[in-house]
Amino acid sequence: MKRPFTRRSLLGRLAAATACLVVAPAVRAAKAAVKTVLVSTGAPKGYDPTQHKWLMVVDVNRCIGCGLCAEACKLENHVPEGPFYRTWIERYIIKKPEPGSGETHGEVLVDSPAGGMNGFHDVPVPADDILQSFFVPKLCNLCEHSPCVQVCPVGATFDAPDGAVLIDPKYCIGCGFCIQACPYGCRFMNPVTHTAEKCTLCYHRISRGLKPACVEICPTQARIFGDLKNPEPDDPIEAFVRNNKVQVLKPHLGTEPRVLYAGIDREVR
Amino acid sequence: MPKMPPQVVRLVLLTIGIVGSYLIARYFLTPASFNEYGHYRGAALMEIASHPVVFAGKKSCEDCHFDEFERLGRFEHKTLSCEGCHGAGQAHTENPDIRLAILNFSHCARCHEANPSRPSWHKQIDLRDHYAGEACTECHVAHAPSQVPESPEAP
Repeated sequence: MKRPFTRRSLLGRLAAATACLVVAPAVRAAKAAVKTVLVSTGAPKGYDPTQHKWLMVVDVNRCIGCGLCAEACKLENHVPEGPFYRTWIERYIIKKPEPGSGETHGEVLVDSPAGGMNGFHDVPVPADDILQSFFVPKLCNLCEHSPCVQVCPVGATFDAPDGAVLIDPKYCIGCGFCIQACPYGCRFMNPVTHTAEKCTLCYHRISRGLKPACVEICPTQARIFGDLKNPEPDDPIEAFVRNNKVQVLKPHLGTEPRVLYAGIDREVR
Repeated sequence: MPKMPPQVVRLVLLTIGIVGSYLIARYFLTPASFNEYGHYRGAALMEIASHPVVFAGKKSCEDCHFDEFERLGRFEHKTLSCEGCHGAGQAHTENPDIRLAILNFSHCARCHEANPSRPSWHKQIDLRDHYAGEACTECHVAHAPSQVPESPEAP
């Protein structure tokens, strides 16, 4: 049954069309209002994350275990007191093998008292028993395939276009999956905000053209920071990688980290 | 055209209602910057980037203290960051009246105390043997460490 085209139906359709015209701007205005509430600015101007790809090289041969990097990181990023570190230093002590054991080395001791923030004054092993010992600074490994991003149930953590792995604190529900997923132990639960936290590569510094605090403070330049998309004219990373053999931590996991290590032994995990 | 059974019409209307309210809710609840760079809130990047800076960086120090900077650059400590010994300096760059520690010599031992884990190229001393009890600055100049005035056979 077809309804006849009457004056009443025409008026009805005209009324509906007018209502649409009135409602559409109202919807647009409402969305703009929601935007202004949810989106805040105040960030450094002129930083385009698609124009960078950050990486770091850690030269273990140059690390003297002073702990300034770990201390500076805590200060710079207002990391809560206690055993929470965005970057920390591990001390590896490889003991001499027992005489006649037929092994290449003895026990491997790894420690990081207070994240190495206060240095390593006490040596837990007599110097004569040490075969080899060195410091390994650790931080977010900037994985190309980040396990922490894959497990987040709410999409709060993500790979930024510039290579930093970041957490949106407004979305994080504090479930802690990512803390378990990170094979490098780089994440922790912030006891104040109850959200996951990690090294951001000092995102507030690199977006202003500064180096991360740990790189800035390192007295021996054991940490080298660079940009794969905009290498400096005499790029220190390029020179370093040309002259040194670098590797990544836990390569068998296929995470493809962008933190490269030089001078580490097979015992380093 | 056969008449559609009323229960099917109701079902269709209910489905349209549910899907429609989902679409309306998504339209309003999705943040504006979502999907700007990927499946996350693009504004989060700039929110994280807007945190205040604590360490000013060596370049800022050079702007005012260029003479000291130039001197430091001629000696072994040229790779050191000013703020490694003097403390975080962003507050000082914004207001020079906020002073930084001029001398902070717990820092000498922090790097130069002998430790078997330290690489052998790094200069280290045994704190108990090397003029124990005396301040490092009695002999050493922090900004020019190789200038040691008349050191009689330093152990």
